[in-house]
Amino acid sequence: MTRRSAIFAALLAAAAFLVMASAYTVGEWEQAVITQFGRPVAQVNKAGLHFKLPFVQRVRRLDKRMLNWDGDPNQIPTKDKKYIQVDTTARWRISDPLLFIQTVQTEDGARLRLDGILDSVTRDTISNNNLVEAVRNSNAILTKMKDRLKAQEKGELEPGREEEEVVGEIDPIFVGREALSGIIIERARAGLKEFGIEIVDVQLRRIAYEESVEAKVYERMISERQRIAQKIRSVGKGEQAKIEGKIAKDLQQIESEAYRSVQRIKGAADAKAIRTYAAAMGADPEFYTFVRTLEAYRKSLGADTRLILSTDSKFLELLRKR
Amino acid sequence: MEQWGDQPKDDIRELLNVLSRKLGAGDGARFIPAIAGVVLLVFTLFSSIYTVEPSEEAVILRFGKFVGTQPPGLHFKLPFGVDRAVKVKTKVILQQEFGFRTQGRATGGRSDYTTQGLTAESLTLTGDLNVANVEWIVQYQIADAKKYLFNTREVTTNLRDISQSVLRRVVGDRVVTDVLTVGRAEIAEEAHRLTQEVLDRYDIGIRIVTVKLQDVNPPEKVRPAFNDVNAAKQEQEQAINHAEREYNRVIPEARGKAEKSISDAQGYATAVVNRSEGDASAFRAVLEAYRISPSVTRTRLYLETMEELYGRFKELTIVDTGVKGLLPIFQNPSQPAAPAAPEAAR
Repeated sequence: MTRRSAIFAALLAAAAFLVMASAYTVGEWEQAVITQFGRPVAQVNKAGLHFKLPFVQRVRRLDKRMLNWDGDPNQIPTKDKKYIQVDTTARWRISDPLLFIQTVQTEDGARLRLDGILDSVTRDTISNNNLVEAVRNSNAILTKMKDRLKAQEKGELEPGREEEEVVGEIDPIFVGREALSGIIIERARAGLKEFGIEIVDVQLRRIAYEESVEAKVYERMISERQRIAQKIRSVGKGEQAKIEGKIAKDLQQIESEAYRSVQRIKGAADAKAIRTYAAAMGADPEFYTFVRTLEAYRKSLGADTRLILSTDSKFLELLRKR
Repeated sequence: MEQWGDQPKDDIRELLNVLSRKLGAGDGARFIPAIAGVVLLVFTLFSSIYTVEPSEEAVILRFGKFVGTQPPGLHFKLPFGVDRAVKVKTKVILQQEFGFRTQGRATGGRSDYTTQGLTAESLTLTGDLNVANVEWIVQYQIADAKKYLFNTREVTTNLRDISQSVLRRVVGDRVVTDVLTVGRAEIAEEAHRLTQEVLDRYDIGIRIVTVKLQDVNPPEKVRPAFNDVNAAKQEQEQAINHAEREYNRVIPEARGKAEKSISDAQGYATAVVNRSEGDASAFRAVLEAYRISPSVTRTRLYLETMEELYGRFKELTIVDTGVKGLLPIFQNPSQPAAPAAPEAAR
């Protein structure tokens, strides 16, 4: 190898090193801040190949994507003094990388701020509202209940099917779950803007009863179910009694109506018979009495009869004369 | 030791000699760049060729900048890390489980599930402030590989957080009985729609395929109470059925009996009327005949009747009006009294 080629190789290596030191890439998912001796001089938002001054400038990359924040479940008393666990999550992104680097520097630093602000905002918001506001989003239940009540009044529901309706009173809500999230976002957004952080969304992932409260809630649920079961049973018994009553009523009606018809028919027939007899016998009542008496004798006096006959009798007239 | 070391050196020298002889080149100096060239070529080829599987899509990044996506098949890109191909499984339907986890498959092909330690995930407050244990799955697909890669860092975490939040919102607007019974399909459908809405707002390239509720139960401790409600429903139905059966047993029979009594009465009526008419016409006929010679007929009728009657009697005593003190005869009716009397009657 000659001396010239050695020098050429060295120059080439130096040039390559220079290029390596000044070129840098920014990914589609990244944003970068260029600092010169620690002082931010440029902000790079476009992905691709970029150049900087070698050695004096440094690239600090930050994520451009939406990031997650997961809070520790908080024990918060609500306005109506119910102790619940609230588990919030949030999505955020670095909206101002320069400000971000100046104020919180790293993602870990950002998370600390997020912890502080989101936790306190969540706590404030939840404890300023009743529990139902965090559980329900609308008054759909109440509307549905009203509809069912109406249907029940109109008698559209099958008997005995109304049992599971109203379970305790259900309070109307005025804010609702989504709106609570909205309030939390609004308040947190203001506090986090100065760190170059944009809150995209806060979600109440989980709301659960505190363990000590849980047992009581279960007790209430059990007693509620017992009440419902009782009601269902008694409605059943009531229906049964109703049907039994109907049996008695229908039976009386059927039997009495039949009796009425029977009596009417029989009476009419008897009356007709009487009239017929009277019309016929009226022609010679004396003869009728005579004939009918003889017939009655024949029918009523049986073989067992003992008769003591006086000779005065018309039948024995001839006997006596002798 | 030296003997050990010398042996491989000789081998290598011999191998090189053989190689150079075979390549037909006398000196080794000319032969080294050729090898380097081949290696470079092979390396270039390998770093510019890539394949995309049928279930995938490749996102091409040039110096980190997005330049396009490639469908399944064999493709080329710029080598040496200038282009990067990131493969994303866009055709595969992925699944997330909530409140339970599948633990591989048993030999029979059935999956094993566990809910151990996951009750916090499944316990959900209902609108009437009760608690239900809701287990569900979300099936999803990567609809847009670019958005999936560049719009958020933790896609799965996002999905899980949102799905939980949305499902709780949907369940929160229903009473516990609806959640446990009739509301299931509706809840799944609404959760699907709302989850997709939120994901679209985030614009992270995820499409929800389906949301399905699995087991939905009351919590363990209150389950007997819920079962008792079901039992009560059965009892209610049973009581009503029982009563209706009784009704069906009694009433039709009573109706039949009523009809029968009316029919009987109608029969009676016909009989009475007919009889009266019969009697009447008989009487009229007799009367007509009687009027021809009343006195004789009257006597005849009387005598005939008496004849029949007296002949039938068991005992007939004839007492002359002139005889007194007959009473003792009747003190003992079983004794044959006045044996002469029947004869006299004859």
